[in-house]
Amino acid sequence: MKQHKKALVLWLLLLVVLLIGALIAPSPQLPEESIQETMRDAVLHETGQIDLFGLDVVNPGLISAFTVTAMLLAAAAVIRIFVIPRFRYQPGRLQMLLEELVGMFDRMAKSSSPEMNRFLGAYIFAAGAYIFVGTLFELFGLQAVTTAGRSITLPAPLSDINGAIALGCLSYLIILSGGIANNGLRGVGRTLKEFSLPISMSFRLFGALLSGLLVTELVYYYIQLSFVLPVIVGVLFTLLHALIQSYVLTMLTALFYGEVSEHTPPKEKAKKRKGKPAETPQQAS
Amino acid sequence: MNIPLNIDWQQILLHLFNFAILAGGLYLLLYKPVRQFMEKREAHYREMEEAAAQRKAEAEQLKADYEAKLQQAEVEIRERQEEARKAIQASTQQQLEEARQQAEEILTSARAAAERSREKAIEASKQELQDLAISVAEKLVLSSDGDTFDQFLDLAERKGGNEQS
Repeated sequence: MKQHKKALVLWLLLLVVLLIGALIAPSPQLPEESIQETMRDAVLHETGQIDLFGLDVVNPGLISAFTVTAMLLAAAAVIRIFVIPRFRYQPGRLQMLLEELVGMFDRMAKSSSPEMNRFLGAYIFAAGAYIFVGTLFELFGLQAVTTAGRSITLPAPLSDINGAIALGCLSYLIILSGGIANNGLRGVGRTLKEFSLPISMSFRLFGALLSGLLVTELVYYYIQLSFVLPVIVGVLFTLLHALIQSYVLTMLTALFYGEVSEHTPPKEKAKKRKGKPAETPQQAS
Repeated sequence: MNIPLNIDWQQILLHLFNFAILAGGLYLLLYKPVRQFMEKREAHYREMEEAAAQRKAEAEQLKADYEAKLQQAEVEIRERQEEARKAIQASTQQQLEEARQQAEEILTSARAAAERSREKAIEASKQELQDLAISVAEKLVLSSDGDTFDQFLDLAERKGGNEQS
């Protein structure tokens, strides 16, 4: 027991010394960035840009997007090669998880658009996976070096406004394609009625994820806030964001897709019916 | 032209390109195979359910057939029993009738035979008495010496003694 107590006291002392050392140790002689600049750069990426293989200078969000895609595709390939061939009629845990993920988006697509849902299901599955993993990606803390020589943590891909606009507009185009495929020009009309949809979708994503990023930046800017608090604002908020944003975008896309692709009889038939005597329920049955 | 918020069309297109690769890859590697497997399993269990339902329907049909046959057999048995009972009754009646007829015939013939033998006996007795009377008369006529009555008695006694011996 005494040995345990000694070890505990030593460990606490070590912690205190390390904490004091961290607080009083001189920081590197890089030009310091004010909180205003940090926040502004997190939104606009005016200075914190990254060189894309020497081709162009891009926002860190795009690098995150490529990394997330590579990670997801690698994981999917591993699952395809090693897990899916071993699927059984009585599923194990991993198989149940995969089936539940695919089944959830499949059911969402089917319930929204009963007639034509295969493409929609595939799209919302990819979008959901991308938003969820992309949002959790900022927790991994992967580092990249900006063109200014500063090290930054790669943010969530959708906290970059270009990424959010891309996904929002793509979702709108998918909805439009559903309208055209099922209802032709009428479907286009129905989709165009919701002209604010791409903007609202894009900025909802951007705002939600950027707010998480800004809160995290704010917390990490001050070293005094960097203990315990990040567990709540970093992990819990990010997890909540990941779940909520994937659900919101996929559900909205599925809902609007189902609405514009809903098949309705042409108006001519309705006009013809008006001329005929009304059909009684007994006749109809 | 600078777009506010540092929006960059090139990067938007790069994001779209990236997402298109991701969507296609995830569809081919994950979504499609898992969904196919789920559909295959669903079809498998649907087939099992259909086969079970078909077998159940067949079994129920078989049971209904057997019950119908059983009922039919019971009806047939009852009809046969009724027929047999009627046949036995008819046969018994017929046999009784025949026996009665035979008895009547026997009785009639016996009565006729008895009547005939009685008549024959009466006839024979009459003849005998006649013969006896004639012979007595003849003897009386022939031997009219003595008392006629005594002669008759002697003759009768002798006749009776002869018959006894």
